[in-house]
Amino acid sequence: MRRQLNMILTLAGKDWRLFLADKRAALLGFAVPIVLASAFGIIFDKPEGGDNGVRLPLLVVVEDGGPFTAGAASELVASRRLDAQIVTRGEATQRLANRRPGVVVVFPVGFEALATWKPGGAGPRPTVRVLYDPLCRSEAQWAEGIVSEVVMKKLANEKLSPLLADRTWTMPFAVESVEAAEGRAGFNSYSHSFSGMTLQYLLFWGMESGLSLLRDRQRSVWLRMRSAPVPFWCVLIGKSLSTASIAFLQVLATFTFGYFVFGVCIGGSWIGFLLLALGVSVLAAATGLLVAAIGGTEARARSLSILAILGVSMLGGLWLPSFVLPGWARDLSVTLPTTWAMRGFDGVTWQGRNFWDSLVSISVVAGFAALILSLAVARLVFSEARRRRGYA
Amino acid sequence: MPRRLALTLIDIRVSFGATVALDGVSLDVRSGEIVGLLGPNGSGKSTALAVAAGILDPLSGTVAAGGIRRDTQPAEYAKKIGLVPQEPALYDELSAEANLTFFGRLYGLSGYELNCRVATALDRVRMMDRALDRVGTLSGGMKQRINLACALIHDPPLLLLDEPTAALDPKSRDLLFADLHRLREAGHAVLLTTHHLDEAEYGCDRIAVLEKGRIVAEGKPSDLVRHAPTDRPILYGQLRENVAHFFVKGLRKRLEAGVELEITGRRLRLSAESQDQLGRALGLILSDGIHLETFHTPPGRLDKLMRPSAVPVAQGEPCDAS
Repeated sequence: MRRQLNMILTLAGKDWRLFLADKRAALLGFAVPIVLASAFGIIFDKPEGGDNGVRLPLLVVVEDGGPFTAGAASELVASRRLDAQIVTRGEATQRLANRRPGVVVVFPVGFEALATWKPGGAGPRPTVRVLYDPLCRSEAQWAEGIVSEVVMKKLANEKLSPLLADRTWTMPFAVESVEAAEGRAGFNSYSHSFSGMTLQYLLFWGMESGLSLLRDRQRSVWLRMRSAPVPFWCVLIGKSLSTASIAFLQVLATFTFGYFVFGVCIGGSWIGFLLLALGVSVLAAATGLLVAAIGGTEARARSLSILAILGVSMLGGLWLPSFVLPGWARDLSVTLPTTWAMRGFDGVTWQGRNFWDSLVSISVVAGFAALILSLAVARLVFSEARRRRGYA
Repeated sequence: MPRRLALTLIDIRVSFGATVALDGVSLDVRSGEIVGLLGPNGSGKSTALAVAAGILDPLSGTVAAGGIRRDTQPAEYAKKIGLVPQEPALYDELSAEANLTFFGRLYGLSGYELNCRVATALDRVRMMDRALDRVGTLSGGMKQRINLACALIHDPPLLLLDEPTAALDPKSRDLLFADLHRLREAGHAVLLTTHHLDEAEYGCDRIAVLEKGRIVAEGKPSDLVRHAPTDRPILYGQLRENVAHFFVKGLRKRLEAGVELEITGRRLRLSAESQDQLGRALGLILSDGIHLETFHTPPGRLDKLMRPSAVPVAQGEPCDAS
């Protein structure tokens, strides 16, 4: 047993030497997830105390010259949540075609009739038209909500003001938005991007490791290795050990950078974080073996792997939080290890969860890693046995 | 004094689907001798070597090295052999010393013993002064010598070499054979595959000619030449650069019937029914833009043994197993 352990360490050590032999490539191996995570974090960061920095670009077309319509349009332009501009119909059509911006609100002729509206009154209702680019459906819904609010407020103000004498009408209730971080660590958009991009990079690192195994199997060096007294399972475990240990170091390096530069902190259990980092590192190694087990040409394995990794990254919420996904995709995502890894990392970082709360995520990630590892090893052992019998 | 049996192959059968690769091959290799497995492409010589190296399982038959059977004691068997694949089986990114250390550890060596073995293996192939150089920076001939050193790291009694000179220039080839002859003198057994007859004739003590998975002739080169039935003109050449496989295939189709062309790495073998036919074939090859650095016609006539149904199996020198 000790001899086999030495063999595994020798094989893993060889991979480490090969990894470090190209120092620039090794450095990039640590730098790329950091750069990716930082870039995503900067894009989605919302500065504290501001107006969240997000204003919907909007064009307003006023085709009715009445004072009520003009007032509603002015209030839209003044809204803090909009970056609105009043333009002509022609200009709006032209700019909408170029998606600059993607949403246009049109107050058509006849809208002024709303100024004489009475509760319970009959007759046709004036219409506000929201024109949008097909890629801006969400923005259109956003604009529709703000237009409804502005027009209703103006209408209420005008209809209720006579009853209030000199006082200004205000909304009878207030809306307070509170960031739901369960009162613990507090949300940091960099936490999500560092977790997501690190995870995604680890999967790609696993893929590269698998492809190198695939390449090795086509090379003479594999013949020498297989003619040596080394059990095949030692080769596979050695490969997994080197892949997982390098991946683990990448997780630590990325989060260390995130801590010092962007304030990404482990607000919850440190043990949970380390176990989770270990789990995703083994998951990366298992992914690598699975890539090698797919077999075939390197180009084929690479294409399939990229497709699968991008798919599980997107569905697992590694790029954007999974709540933006459609319902079926959210349902599907619970069957993916990436979803559970993200839940775990979110838990131990900005949600500040303790070890026991993180245990489910850790266990599911470990379970997936074990399952994928078992499938890959079984497939590789089978294919190696076939090779020994002369089947390519 | 009888020499020890280093390798025994008894009635080895291997098939790849419906294709029979080895059909009842039996062969002994003894310590202190160099045996060449000779045959055209697809004759089964690399398959036989793979079986002996323990990387291909035969359908039936017995494989043993130094009295240790491959099927019952695979780990012990592996320690008895050192494989030198055709392409250098090395990590280009690591130094020669690091490669040797890695492969030595796979054989259970460590510490002082490993360091000594690394030094000895490098010394044997005269590469001590390049020990710390990255393999990727070495020439083809140097890589092949490090390739040989890696196979020697655990001091195996039997060396298996697959087309060891395929990509070497004549000088590197001579150096490699000088190394092999020194190893033979030190008591190592060597089994190598080649389809370059001049190498087999002058570099090997014994030759086994494979044809369609069967040994069709076996014995000392001089005996085989004496018993060979016909003469067949042959030419060996060294190409200036590698030639694409599909190009060689296309060229073969345009050669006259009876002309045989083999190109392995940068080495060429051309044989024909007559001198005139050989000259015409050479002219066609040269006019196709294949440049030869050197070429020669060997004095020996072993090539005729590589024709189907050439001669009955000749017996090698009888030896006692010990």
